[in-house]
Amino acid sequence: MKIGLMITCINDALYADTAIAVVKVLERLGHNIYFPEQQSCCGQMHLNSGYRKEGIELAKRSIAVFEEFDYVVSPSASCVGTIREVYHNAAVATGDHRFEEVTTTFSPKVFEFSEFLIDILEVEDVGASFPHKVAYHPTCHSLRVTKAGDRPMRLLNAVRNLQLIELEKSDSCCGFGGVFALKNSDTSIAMGSDKFTSVKKSGAEVLCSLDNSCLTHIGGIAEKMNSGLRVMHLAEILAQTGDQK
Amino acid sequence: MTSRTFDDPRPFQKQVISALADSQLRANLGHATSTIRNKRAKVVAELEDWEALRDHGAYIKDLAQSILPELIRQVEVNVTATGGKVHFAKDAAEANQIAIALTKSYGAKSVVKIKSMATQEIELNKAFEEAGLEAFETDLAELIVQLGDDLPSHILVPAIHKNRSQIREIFIEKMGRSGVPAPKGLTDSPKELAAAARNHLRARFLESKVAISGGNFLVAETGSIVIVESEGNGRMCLTLPETLISVVGIDKIVPDWSSLEVFLQLLPRSSTGERMNPYTSIFTGVTAGDGPKNFHLILIDNGRTEALQDPVGREVLRCIRCSACLNVCPVYERAGGHSYGSTYPGPIGAVLVPQIRRGSIGKLEKSLPYASSLCGACYEVCPVKIDIPKLLVELRSQNVDRARDQGALTGEKLLMEVVYATFRSPRLFASSLDIARKGASLIGKRKVNIAPPPLSAWTKARSLPLPRGESFRDWMRENHPDHIVASAKAMSGESITKSTTNGLRQLGRFGLHLQHDLAKKRLRGNSDGMASFKVPNHQPIATPYKADLSIGQTIDEFVAPIKAITSSGFTKPIEPTTSYRTKGGLSPHEIVDLFIDRTIDYKATITRCNEKELAKTIQELLSKNQSSSLVAPKDFNPYWLSDKVLKFVTFDDQISHDRLDAIDSVVTTSAVAVASSGTIILDGGEGQGRRAISLIVDHHIAVVFEDQIVEVLPEAIGRINHRAPQTWISGPSATSDIELERVEGVHGPRKLDVIVVRRG
Ligand code: SF4
Repeated sequence: MKIGLMITCINDALYADTAIAVVKVLERLGHNIYFPEQQSCCGQMHLNSGYRKEGIELAKRSIAVFEEFDYVVSPSASCVGTIREVYHNAAVATGDHRFEEVTTTFSPKVFEFSEFLIDILEVEDVGASFPHKVAYHPTCHSLRVTKAGDRPMRLLNAVRNLQLIELEKSDSCCGFGGVFALKNSDTSIAMGSDKFTSVKKSGAEVLCSLDNSCLTHIGGIAEKMNSGLRVMHLAEILAQTGDQK
Repeated sequence: MTSRTFDDPRPFQKQVISALADSQLRANLGHATSTIRNKRAKVVAELEDWEALRDHGAYIKDLAQSILPELIRQVEVNVTATGGKVHFAKDAAEANQIAIALTKSYGAKSVVKIKSMATQEIELNKAFEEAGLEAFETDLAELIVQLGDDLPSHILVPAIHKNRSQIREIFIEKMGRSGVPAPKGLTDSPKELAAAARNHLRARFLESKVAISGGNFLVAETGSIVIVESEGNGRMCLTLPETLISVVGIDKIVPDWSSLEVFLQLLPRSSTGERMNPYTSIFTGVTAGDGPKNFHLILIDNGRTEALQDPVGREVLRCIRCSACLNVCPVYERAGGHSYGSTYPGPIGAVLVPQIRRGSIGKLEKSLPYASSLCGACYEVCPVKIDIPKLLVELRSQNVDRARDQGALTGEKLLMEVVYATFRSPRLFASSLDIARKGASLIGKRKVNIAPPPLSAWTKARSLPLPRGESFRDWMRENHPDHIVASAKAMSGESITKSTTNGLRQLGRFGLHLQHDLAKKRLRGNSDGMASFKVPNHQPIATPYKADLSIGQTIDEFVAPIKAITSSGFTKPIEPTTSYRTKGGLSPHEIVDLFIDRTIDYKATITRCNEKELAKTIQELLSKNQSSSLVAPKDFNPYWLSDKVLKFVTFDDQISHDRLDAIDSVVTTSAVAVASSGTIILDGGEGQGRRAISLIVDHHIAVVFEDQIVEVLPEAIGRINHRAPQTWISGPSATSDIELERVEGVHGPRKLDVIVVRRG
């Protein structure tokens, strides 16, 4: 099986560690993962902020880049969710039947990282060790669009020395929301502050999730408050074996 | 008393600021919404067929839209045939003029009102005030808003932004100015506050000549209006005044009674988080000797036809105004209802308002689609499956397209185009990542805390990470050069190969099967059995009215634009493949137990006996309640009353409302009962009496025979007289309007005794 890595634009620009972690974990499990270098953005940002024409072009482009793979793995629930739902909605809304067909074929091949591990590779224990108190924040797209369910928890539970901390009101939105974070920054910050407070209250040292976008937002608040809370993508925790940093 | 209306045209981002700064408001909202969220989740989890019910809820609404012109004609025929008069209003102004003209022609100076989104939407109270008439709200939350000269902030609980102590202050200060004052020593206990509202409104109910209502559903098949409520104020308005005017949007029309078996399961669970709301009233036209003598239905369009024109609008018009989407919305929880600038707040407001105001899109309407983080919680709970995040994105696209057509050049547009150009070109993308990385290393920081606009919106409370260290691409080049794939095809979006499209054409496509056939009778159960019901004595409007009927439209004028839309390119909806439960699976014995359990859950008391013991049981319940007077329907079986009771019972023969108000107890039979929701249905059949007697009297004894209890709601629908005025009762009157906490006892009977009787 040929696995393609869709690292997403935000990781490409800001979070190399997450992408490297995905490669390392899959390697450890004995799988090669390929990186098509022409990839850029799935189109989510444009599609969700109303720039549909541009978004559709970027979507088509992404599909073309990854078309040759049997599986496409991405460390982002919101990008995978975009491919599964927003592509389809945009195709229907614009009456672009060809795009609708293409996206219907393409999206079943695309997996969010935790789904790929549990559903396709059928592993829970990836051999990681991480001696910290970790809280998991289910991002909205992983909760309601890709429906990650308890997969991330199962993966985290199998990590050696890791202490999983429960979050109060974990399923409430952190307030990132893409363009929302800028256009409605006050409300976004109010939501993010509540989320940060509940993480703080939990006593976790590390907050983890399936989306670096939300973690940028929550982590940005934590940083500005000098709270010492670390945010990490799930893949980065799973990549830790105890013998590195 | 003045009527405030929404008139702030500023965008959401501006209106929200004061709400965000109001910590009391946020505490009130956070408390109230989390209470209702939990209640809803619990009662929804009880139904294994919830998802199927949602599918059907969405389908029935879509179906109704696709045949709307026919349904409107059906409504008109059926309402007229049963003694009502239908008026057609194309917009708010027409609807208000008609309502005012009717009220005046009946010689009334004031009206009592049932909470209704339609009358809020058309700002009826303000129009009445301008016409020198008074419109009194009777729903507890609406009363709080009206007394406090406030604006509603929630669909179901307009005063959700107020807590109990704020409500107490409003009552003490304002009640006396427009009627019976608040009692001395009023505390902030929700029970006392509800009692104060009862006291304040009692006389008004008994005196008012005209009532105005909305309608939750309008059943085309019979022309019946369904009104769902809790406190009994609705029943008061629908039963006591001589004239009733119902203002209903055309989106409330459903085809038939089997639609109700779906919606009356979806709505209460979604809105108040109850299996069934305390009271549901269903009535058809005018019924002799029961309820108003004059009935007018004002059907309103007010932008709905325009909304029907596109798929977003159609999906939005499915809305049954349950407010579940508000209660789960994290933005609403912080922003409160007022920030949305209209009577429709929250996620549904954000999509509905830009739709029904398509002709007048201003700053506010443009801003609403962005008032969401697209978290999807609303879609998850919506009982009619409105995909609100999808619609928000669609409305954002419409905004962008509109600006594009106007050639507007904004900073945002420029930025999005630059980003797009970068994403499109692999070389440009790779080199800008490099440049950014180099730039960041020059700054020498990992994060920035202050940035210029537009990024300042980010950095005011969040630091912004900068690219640092080695890029992923470099890492790959070093560690896995052979795993980097250069795909030539990927250079342009148009390179999707044919092979992808072929072979999977069928995937994701459903055949157009199961087209709905209107002629097909959807009603389950024995439709011939309907013939065995007594057709109520419907009477034409008793009091002639001299309202100027040139106001408003004729049915042909009203229907024509709708017809133009539905007859061109309107795809018929596909019937869902899922099915909900139409029959229960429990044994008769278990059904009775379930009914008892669910009825007790809503604070009614249950007594069991066999038929021979019934007279004794009734007597005991009366003495327990210390009742010295009793009213029974004229045709109530006297063998069920003991000699002692027979001495003080009055058999109803149109006893006046005032006399009824002085009687301690009422005893009635019932038509059918539903175990799964603990609901008793009265349809005026033998021993049930007219609606007023089981409403005004404070203690209701309802007799239910075991064989009258069915397990699920659909089984009950076939057993009731559809054309008769009905009252569905689930527990005593109650309200959840104060901090969304349920308190029993408002305007309807405060005590409900149910006797479950074994035959023989
Ligand atoms: S959109 Fe759905 S959830 Fe919201 S009020 Fe309407 S029916 Fe209820």
